[in-house]
Amino acid sequence: MIETPGPEADEVARRQGAATRAGLVARLGGLASRLFSARLDKSAGRIRFIALAMAVAYLGIGVKLVSLGASHDPPQTLKVAADQAVSGARPDLLDRNGEILATDVKTMSVFAEPRRIIDKDEAVELITAVLPDVDAKELRERLSSKKGFVWVKRQVTAKEQQEIFHLGLPGVGFLPENKRVYPNGPIGAHVIGFVDTDNIGIAGMEKYLDQQSLTDPHVPGFVLDPTALKPVRLSLDLKATHALRDELVAGLARFKAKAAAGAILDVTTGEVIALESLPDFDPNDPGDFIKDPTRINRLNVGVYEMGSTFKALSLAMALDSGKATLNSRIDARDSLRYGHFTIHDFHATHRVLTVPEVFTHSSNIGAARLALMVGVEGHQAFLRKMGQLDRLRTELPESAEPLVPKHWGELNTMTIAFGQGLNVAPLQAMMAVAALINGGNMMTPTFLPRAEADALAVSHAVISPQTSESMRYLMRSNATHGSAGFANIPGYYVGGKTGTADKIVNGHYSQDRVFTTFMAIAPADKPKYLYLVMYDEPQGLPEDGGYHTAAHNAGRTTGSLITRVEPLEGVPPADHFPDQPFPILARLGLGGDADRVGKE
Amino acid sequence: MWRLLHVIAIAALIGSAAYVYSVKYQTIYASEQIVKTRHQIAKERDAINLLRAEFAHLTRPDRLQALADAQLDMQPLALGQIVKADDLPDHAPKVDSIGRKLESLSLLGDSATPSAGLTGATPAVR
Repeated sequence: MIETPGPEADEVARRQGAATRAGLVARLGGLASRLFSARLDKSAGRIRFIALAMAVAYLGIGVKLVSLGASHDPPQTLKVAADQAVSGARPDLLDRNGEILATDVKTMSVFAEPRRIIDKDEAVELITAVLPDVDAKELRERLSSKKGFVWVKRQVTAKEQQEIFHLGLPGVGFLPENKRVYPNGPIGAHVIGFVDTDNIGIAGMEKYLDQQSLTDPHVPGFVLDPTALKPVRLSLDLKATHALRDELVAGLARFKAKAAAGAILDVTTGEVIALESLPDFDPNDPGDFIKDPTRINRLNVGVYEMGSTFKALSLAMALDSGKATLNSRIDARDSLRYGHFTIHDFHATHRVLTVPEVFTHSSNIGAARLALMVGVEGHQAFLRKMGQLDRLRTELPESAEPLVPKHWGELNTMTIAFGQGLNVAPLQAMMAVAALINGGNMMTPTFLPRAEADALAVSHAVISPQTSESMRYLMRSNATHGSAGFANIPGYYVGGKTGTADKIVNGHYSQDRVFTTFMAIAPADKPKYLYLVMYDEPQGLPEDGGYHTAAHNAGRTTGSLITRVEPLEGVPPADHFPDQPFPILARLGLGGDADRVGKE
Repeated sequence: MWRLLHVIAIAALIGSAAYVYSVKYQTIYASEQIVKTRHQIAKERDAINLLRAEFAHLTRPDRLQALADAQLDMQPLALGQIVKADDLPDHAPKVDSIGRKLESLSLLGDSATPSAGLTGATPAVR
């Protein structure tokens, strides 16, 4: 149904025609009156005009949007720029006893607003006169930029601030910033890590905290107030860490070694009580630490052939598999031949050894034969269970993959049994030894405080309690009549194992360059702490008969370390041996000879 | 009558205006004080933090050890010096050693107090 246009429509069309015929001048003159006239017949022109105005307005907005989107440096207010630029607050880091390891202090930083600086050359001249370490050319470039906010110098002293203030330069101001300080300098530096000038964690636990989003320093308007942040406690003990570093510094100089490292692990909880790796760095001024490969944390970034300390794993594997007992006899009369290779003993005995003798004489042949009893498959499975074939991940962001042989044959099993041919991070080896002696509970080492119950909840059993007790007995007997005598501190019932690995030089094992390790447990009947000390290329001293084996360097250092650290941790020396140190072994009629003092 | 009421009303108006102004300025003053105190607190907190850091820096173990080695005539702790509280010897019975000495010199009589001039460092007569 279509309606024909009525007389009213005709009327509108006629009048419109009349309007378009009107002269331009008349239209302009009548524009205002027509704009505001409420007459319906004039609305078509008005609608066109409004549509045009709207189109112009939207075009303007669109052009502005495109120009804003295309510009690289969006104009920002000083407040926003400052909030994004200043380094945010970080939580304090405390040791396990509440001593400060890292904290924030307020410092002033000088900034400039280039757009508000009138004479840039004069400003550069005056500022560089007061702050001589600011590069004039670079500063001129920064001040010539179109930015609303640039730093002139971060973290100036109070005196420098005063002098800049007296220059009276417009467009130059001060902002309070947080500066991270490490009051203890290099003590524990590898664990604590450090931050950059923007207070962002670069290494160690500082980086870990950032990864945990405990701190997010660059949210605009982020709290600068450190009181709003709860301090974070680490498992480190500052005093024990200092004792460790002190002993290692002394040992490094005494044995003229290339590097030294050590750690103390609480085997009941997996907490790292102390960790040091020398040469180290001062986190207040890390400099080129990141680029310097000699300053790495050797305990979790370096991988090494652990030498004879690895025999503990081989013996535990043989004992736990049931293929050998402490009474088993191992033939070490002749060197062990395999194809073209011959395995010798460093302290050759040329007789049939018992399992404890394999350990105390550190017999390569014995360890290789014990590993062969279990076989290649079983050996691999055991080492994987002990976490030696996979990368160990702790809270520390830095870690290293172990170097595992690609084709693992019987020869590999034989050499790995006495610590050659498998490179692991020392912390990884400590984790395994801790599980061997703490009753068989495998737990990842941690740098945060952990209660014993929590540690047990996240651990899993890897060997039987009887095997664990056998290992404690073996380590104890090695301290009384084996190579660990230097660490046998009276009163602490110490057990230990030495390891001297020949370093590979030009593809061959070198006799002169060695890598020595020492692991000690105290007390051996109910271990609490596992000590590790290692030296890279220590030199033999004339008073030691020129020996550079682990007992003489790492062993001695561990001995003095135990003497210092055990009282610090509140453990007094016992005045008598424990009555029943190895109850399970005693029931089997074994283990009674561990406390015989003196070598056979 | 009306005039009096007008005067009272105007006086009340002026009075209340003055009161409002005084309250307002007091409020402004108080809020300024709050801001100032907050700044002061923040400053003190920063200062405390700085002092804590400085204290930790000055009491860092390697510095204390170096100072002790240089300044004090002390030996490192030997393990033999650590004993349990139970291992300490019992108290000896309380002995009045001075009284015993006096007794042995038979000075502890009824007139034990010596008269001036007989004993003592200062002679009575010069």
